[in-house]
Amino acid sequence: MSLTSAPPALAAVTAPRPGCIGDRVLRNEDGRFLAGHGEYLADLDVPGTREIAFLRSPVAHARIRAIAIPEGAEGRVFLLKDLGDIHPVRAVLTSPGFRGSDYPALAADTVRFVGEPIAICLGATRAEAEDLAQEIVVDFDELPPVVEIEQALDPASPSLHGWPDNICFVSTPGGGDLDAAAKAAAVTVSREFRMARQCVVSLEGRGVMAWWDRRLQELVVYSSTQQPHVIRTVLAKLIGVPEHQLRVVAPDVGGGFGVKNNLQQEEVAIAALARRLKFPIRWTEDRREHLIASPQAREHRVRLTAHADAQGRILGLEAEAVVNAGAYSIWPWSAAMEANMVAGILTGPYAIEAYRGRGVTVVSNKAPLGPYRGVGRPSACFTLERLVDEIARAVGREPHAVRIDNMVRPEQMPYRTVTGKLFDSGDYAESVRQAAAMIDVPAVRARQTRENGKGPRFIGLGFASYTEQTAHGTDEWIARGLTEVFGYETATVRFTPDGKLIIEAAIQNHGQGLETTLAQVAAEELGVDPADVVVRHGDTAVSPYGMGTFASRSMVMAGGAVGRASRQLAEKVKRIAAHLLQVKPDEVTLAGNCAVAGARSVPLKSVTDAAFLHPENLPAGEEPCLDETTTFQPLSGTGAFAYATHAVVVAVDTGTGLVEILEYAVAHDCGTMVNPMIVEGQVQGGVAQGIGNALLEESPYDSGGQPLASTFADYLVPGAPEVPTVRIAHLETPSPFTAYGIKGMGEGGAIAAPAAILNAVNDALRPLGVELNETPITPKRILTALHDARTERAR
Amino acid sequence: MKPMPFDYARATDVPDALAALADAEAGVRVMAGGQSLVPMLNLRLATFPRVVDISKVAELRERGETADAVTLGACVTHGEIEDGEAPEPAAGLMRHVASGIAYRAVRNRGTIGGSASLADASADWVTTLLALGARFVIRGPDGEREVAAPDMFLAPYFTAMTDQELLVRIVVPKTSRDATWGYYKVTRRSGEYGLTIGAVILDPARDRASVVLGAASRTPLACTATAAALRGAPRWTDALEAALRVAVAEDLARGDRPFEPHEAIMVETTILRAATQALGVS
Amino acid sequence: MKVSFTLNGEAITADVEPRTSLADLVRGEHRCTSVHLGCEHGVCGACTVLIDGKIARSCITLAVALDGTAVTTLEGFEGDALMDRLREAFRAHHGLQCGYCTPGMLITAHDLIRRKGALSEAALRQGLAGNICRCTGYAGIVAAVAAAMDEHGDTARAAAIAAE
Repeated sequence: MSLTSAPPALAAVTAPRPGCIGDRVLRNEDGRFLAGHGEYLADLDVPGTREIAFLRSPVAHARIRAIAIPEGAEGRVFLLKDLGDIHPVRAVLTSPGFRGSDYPALAADTVRFVGEPIAICLGATRAEAEDLAQEIVVDFDELPPVVEIEQALDPASPSLHGWPDNICFVSTPGGGDLDAAAKAAAVTVSREFRMARQCVVSLEGRGVMAWWDRRLQELVVYSSTQQPHVIRTVLAKLIGVPEHQLRVVAPDVGGGFGVKNNLQQEEVAIAALARRLKFPIRWTEDRREHLIASPQAREHRVRLTAHADAQGRILGLEAEAVVNAGAYSIWPWSAAMEANMVAGILTGPYAIEAYRGRGVTVVSNKAPLGPYRGVGRPSACFTLERLVDEIARAVGREPHAVRIDNMVRPEQMPYRTVTGKLFDSGDYAESVRQAAAMIDVPAVRARQTRENGKGPRFIGLGFASYTEQTAHGTDEWIARGLTEVFGYETATVRFTPDGKLIIEAAIQNHGQGLETTLAQVAAEELGVDPADVVVRHGDTAVSPYGMGTFASRSMVMAGGAVGRASRQLAEKVKRIAAHLLQVKPDEVTLAGNCAVAGARSVPLKSVTDAAFLHPENLPAGEEPCLDETTTFQPLSGTGAFAYATHAVVVAVDTGTGLVEILEYAVAHDCGTMVNPMIVEGQVQGGVAQGIGNALLEESPYDSGGQPLASTFADYLVPGAPEVPTVRIAHLETPSPFTAYGIKGMGEGGAIAAPAAILNAVNDALRPLGVELNETPITPKRILTALHDARTERAR
Repeated sequence: MKPMPFDYARATDVPDALAALADAEAGVRVMAGGQSLVPMLNLRLATFPRVVDISKVAELRERGETADAVTLGACVTHGEIEDGEAPEPAAGLMRHVASGIAYRAVRNRGTIGGSASLADASADWVTTLLALGARFVIRGPDGEREVAAPDMFLAPYFTAMTDQELLVRIVVPKTSRDATWGYYKVTRRSGEYGLTIGAVILDPARDRASVVLGAASRTPLACTATAAALRGAPRWTDALEAALRVAVAEDLARGDRPFEPHEAIMVETTILRAATQALGVS
Repeated sequence: MKVSFTLNGEAITADVEPRTSLADLVRGEHRCTSVHLGCEHGVCGACTVLIDGKIARSCITLAVALDGTAVTTLEGFEGDALMDRLREAFRAHHGLQCGYCTPGMLITAHDLIRRKGALSEAALRQGLAGNICRCTGYAGIVAAVAAAMDEHGDTARAAAIAAE
């Protein structure tokens, strides 16, 4: 366990005070969104802006012989050679054996996926830019594409990047004596699982706008991104503008979910071009571009074998996860993020002492893979939790009971897993018990006995449990081999002379409610009204350096930074207030916008007035002004682990193959909750995306590498009728490693839903001899399986 | 996702629209509500040099009723049918169908005539109007002609109309008062096009039964064997169900291409459930 | 090509290409940026507006086709009591996260309540099916619309009683 040099964590809050940590504070940011005054990238109104359409590759794999630009289009069409001296993106891991590849901002010689950008076309309107793009003729020398995982694994397939084959990286996490576990086992259960490739689908697409500011001599890049500071860092390296002459701003961002948590090729190309132009340029990703050319997600094939005793206790686990990472490695995560993560966390919340994992990353002529809510965890949870159900059946026990028996117990905390993660706190089994109680297992079983087999509808019950590593610290990113280490977060907390508070945070808020929850943290320490606190974020010009919003980290990390800065600021406020009240600083408490000492109090406004405008009223030796900047790192380098158990009841219509979700319950623990309303919103929203993952969402490609889902008619995301309201039970075990005991939780809802739903569908269809181990479970897949089972029985 | 440039003209009346369509070389496209056309234009899947907007043509917005039939102008919207702002020929079937097309915001502009003219095989109206035995009044350079539903929908996106003709109105025969119907649509997501659609109309007073299978990635199929099995059936029985399964299989065998096993299960379910609805089985 | 219509109560005349969508027109020079583009093919509902009092997709409606109509975007609902209630309810029930679907969702909910009054939860969800929200999982939205719907019903009943 690695402890940082940070001072001890701020202690967990026991009883919430109004407006402070733990209170259901309504959101500060709602007002502007409800008025329709959110300002997203496409809403920016900068005079002289020209709009961009990218010419994108229509073919999956080809050499570019020639690009014919229409006459008269000079100054409106830009190829890679027109962007000046820029470097290709080379997103690698420091891990030995990782095969790197270059990803140029615009394809010049070779295209490797449908949708890869080739040229920037400018127009007064987007329509005119699209007209221009359509006039460009590219002469392609088509190459055979590598599309599916099996092709990518075949050494005879053409190599995309000049490597001996298309394998980018193989990780082999594990430990313990697997052979002994296999020998001791009463049952051994093996399965192969597949999780389809998905699109992320933020409702606002990506987008970039840039111009050169002549007065400040800086390049201004607006991007719909989750991480402006690190984008500035990498852009500076790639396009040769030093960081102090680069400003990156994320305006209001209409959903991220990971797809805006990468360096985007479009950012590089547009920033490089804007440096050379005299007017602003903007690209607004449209839905077709998003579905085809944005970083995509998932596409895993996992083979899993468990060795268990006669009670279903897992003695050892063996896994091979192959992930189709698409054409390029994207920065900063690299192509290997998914496979490494799946292989690294497959033991789940269980105390499994022997594990042998293999994570294989292959490349192909599909859109590059990037992070999407949950990253490798929905797949890891899906495969492991499906297998746990099969183990339970093999030993004749209820699946949730087998889960309870396998879980890491509270008295084992902190618990070091076989793959080196440090579980911090919690009662994992209790989440199963609470979920089972909420869903009422005996009642569901009775209903199944009563109803199943009487008609086309079959009821099924499914569980899934997980741990979610959140707020990953320095050790974790180093262990993963990242070239940049995202181990901390920063915030500035400053009063204004009139007694109000501004928080400047380096994270980016795109729906998570951080303009409210960070204010609640400040309220906890400074006694201010959170509704009165301004939280500024997403702009390299207004906050100190930090990493951004991803990996369920912002509340822990930025919350920790705001908490530390606020506490330090509170000390100074108390000293000044004590001086004004003529008491000792330790007699002063801060509440209700006042500094209070017994019966006496002074408004914070008087304190700030002294601090900023009347230094003569300050105690001797006290410096004027009231602001503080601090960083925060969790005390454990592998972060804090949230966990949950989901329980779901479904009805499968064997006549149509449609799955209806009847009940959905979640018992979860994300440590101290800053705002339970927002926590519940994150759980519910994550479950909705998990339902899409389980039932609807798939980005299939044909054998030529053409993506087949390019509109919302083909790529279905859940609507209000498809998503039930989830019942949520909160466990609240503070993390010993974070400020206030907060654990991250933004991704959790999405992690377990595919597993729980697949388990429920399999539970429903088991009497019919059907087992389904592939997402999404479409009507076609269900009905085909039913048909095959029927044919099998008839034989 | 912005369209290619095109010219736009608003037709004031039907002759005006027909004049715009007269030049076969001009590549003129008729737009009614635009709810299918504009997405195709935005995606640049379709490009037309000229769009003629017929949505404001008064004649095409008319609706009427005789003792035997209801007449709907081509530009009556799904939303108007849903809201009962057009006469109902079939004991509420058309209102029901209209209310399930896409989403309200689309139904407020999308029109029944536009849907029939586009002839997307997955569209609700194609299946419904076939089942109802509707007739299509088409006007062109040579005057007006009437086409019966089975002759109208030749293949997906392919109707009996030429590019110089305009669908003016749809005549939907009324069912008798005690006719019943069933309409069953399988969608993966609410408001999406149906994977399969089954429409069943039982009109014992006229000794008529009509069964159509729509969507299923095929030209809609008149299920005559199933209809024959249902004609005169007083109620749902095990024997009827068995007979229907045989009849459905017979009908499916006439499909323009074979059904995959999963499709066969789904379409059988669709037809049988529409039939149970029509027979009042809950 | 010239087109004249009323935008949020104000008569406007615009000179647009026929291919310009209503959404692009009102977002552009008229700065009605509550109208969001989420798909540009009529599925997601983020661009929902009122045309002559009826909800419509502004992304698949050509501006030139709207001569003589009245168009209302979320900016045009100032002082509308039902919209104010919906806004309060969306906030109270955490019916929004990133805010991108919110204007279209509010206008759709407003229309649903005006047309239907009280609805079952299932019917309410069907009524919102044409508006995609990728953040909330809809629970907060459904709760908010249901609350505003109940309140609307109460107000309508009270008005009816008062009228008697």
